[in-house]
Amino acid sequence: MQKEMESRRVRSSMNAVIVACDMVTAYGTGIDACWNGIAAGKSAITPVTRFGTRTFQSSYAGIVPGLLYHQASSLVMQMLVSLFSRSSGIIPPDAMLLLATTKGEIDFLEMNILNDAADAAESSLKRLLEKTTELTKVTGMGMVFSSACTSSSAALGYAAALIQSGKTDCILVVACDSVTEFIFSGFSSLMALDAVPARPFDKNRSGLNVGEAAAYAVLMSTDRAAREQRHLLGRIAGWGMSDDANHMTGPSRDSEGMIIAIQKALQSAGMDSKTIGFIAAHGTGTLYNDAMEMRAFHAVFSDQVLPVYSIKGGIGHTMGAAGLVEMIIALKAQREKKIPPTVNLTVPDTDAAGWASGTSQTLDQRTTALITNAGFSGVNTALILAEQ
Amino acid sequence: MRRKLHYDFHAPDERYALSKHDIFSYPFKNFGRLDSLSRITVAAVALAFRDAEKPYSPDCKQAIGIVGTSKDGSLVSDREYFKDYMQGGRTLSRANLFIYTLPSSPLGEAAIHFGLRGPLVYATASTDTLPALMTIGADMIDAHQSNMMLVGRAEQDEALYFLLGGNSEQGSFSFLDMQSIVSTMDDIPSILQASSDLQEKKGVA
Repeated sequence: MQKEMESRRVRSSMNAVIVACDMVTAYGTGIDACWNGIAAGKSAITPVTRFGTRTFQSSYAGIVPGLLYHQASSLVMQMLVSLFSRSSGIIPPDAMLLLATTKGEIDFLEMNILNDAADAAESSLKRLLEKTTELTKVTGMGMVFSSACTSSSAALGYAAALIQSGKTDCILVVACDSVTEFIFSGFSSLMALDAVPARPFDKNRSGLNVGEAAAYAVLMSTDRAAREQRHLLGRIAGWGMSDDANHMTGPSRDSEGMIIAIQKALQSAGMDSKTIGFIAAHGTGTLYNDAMEMRAFHAVFSDQVLPVYSIKGGIGHTMGAAGLVEMIIALKAQREKKIPPTVNLTVPDTDAAGWASGTSQTLDQRTTALITNAGFSGVNTALILAEQ
Repeated sequence: MRRKLHYDFHAPDERYALSKHDIFSYPFKNFGRLDSLSRITVAAVALAFRDAEKPYSPDCKQAIGIVGTSKDGSLVSDREYFKDYMQGGRTLSRANLFIYTLPSSPLGEAAIHFGLRGPLVYATASTDTLPALMTIGADMIDAHQSNMMLVGRAEQDEALYFLLGGNSEQGSFSFLDMQSIVSTMDDIPSILQASSDLQEKKGVA
């Protein structure tokens, strides 16, 4: 008994807690800008002007105000510079760096092919890792994590695992992706875009809008956070990763991969489904993704109805940054005791009725969040976010 | 079991050439549609399964994950996609080229064909990527995210994948195989060192 209690104490001293975070989204710089916009039900999705969209399926995207396209500094680097100019004294120099992105500085490749104005090799993820290391001044090991639109949630899960296992006690997770002609044309070719601002979980939804964002979170062991007298924002209690092994771009029709990811997350957190108070869903606004997620939620939470929301009607689908941005908004929801509305949702689809809503709701005593993400190649992630 | 097979997808040498029928235990659907990095990745993974004597079938998905890397990520496919889009008058692009512009796409093709239900991650480290990937693979098994992990690296003309599995002894890992197509001998010492480090950390001789 004493041994078990000691082991429990050691485990809890190595819990992965979030001690700092920040973001840049289409609402502007800072968490409050994004939270306030979403909570007010206002969308930051606007027509794109940085390249022509006449021949594409849509002209809408979640664009960060003030960024300059095809300049010496890439779109993601402009966002990261803005973000880390606000982080003085927050990031420990010995932190390990996990950088999550799908396409990083792909605008350099565009510039190279369009007018030979840049070196295409500058678009490599390894190069972005070097620049981010320099920008954040961290000296720990650096690594890029890229698993499509689950990149940052996978990085967060892995970071939590490293801390829980005692392999390290501080990790900086950085995520970024931008809206470029390369990416926009690609999603359009897949017929994935909504011609109007995206409507996740709505009966009349017809696609996603791409969005850009950069964000970071500092994760620490409970012990180190206590030593450094850090304010605890929340705790990553569990995580799960899976693959559908089914299709490159379409989600599974039986939701089995997402169900596995959620079950792994609950298991690693040592929780059952009744612990979860709300769900921050991937909710892209495509017909198939949202239906796949709702099937998974119905299967896992069989006899319950939980509040579900998506923030992608507000900021668009921020690709590799989505999981981290969504975790930060879930932290804010826990603190504010409020479930944000799903922006642009007016008539919930049959499977989402009673779960997703276009209006905000008060969060009851069950505040633990489930955060889900999915992406190309059939990847799925689930994170369990507990209040500290 | 240790063997080394040589295969060059771009300029097959008569002495070593294998056809895709020799590599896969059942036909690979739409193999010709895959980009070059995906082709060599799935071939290396098939050889890793064969060498580990681990069967796979289209009817049975398995709790195996994959973590892989490549020096230039998806740069070749990125160029191909965007040049094609430009040549098409900057109006419409080809979805079939776009799907390979993610560095994780070759791993996705492997997951679909071999029924890999575990974690799927492309990663690259500031230094010594392959040993770092091996650690990620071991960590995934340790965290019960997967029973086994495929770990490897693929380039346009060479690839190396191996299968890492937790063995019956608690807290230890073993290589189930190490398989390469074309020579990637530069990687071998670092992998062996990483393997030895892992075993040492786990207290296994």
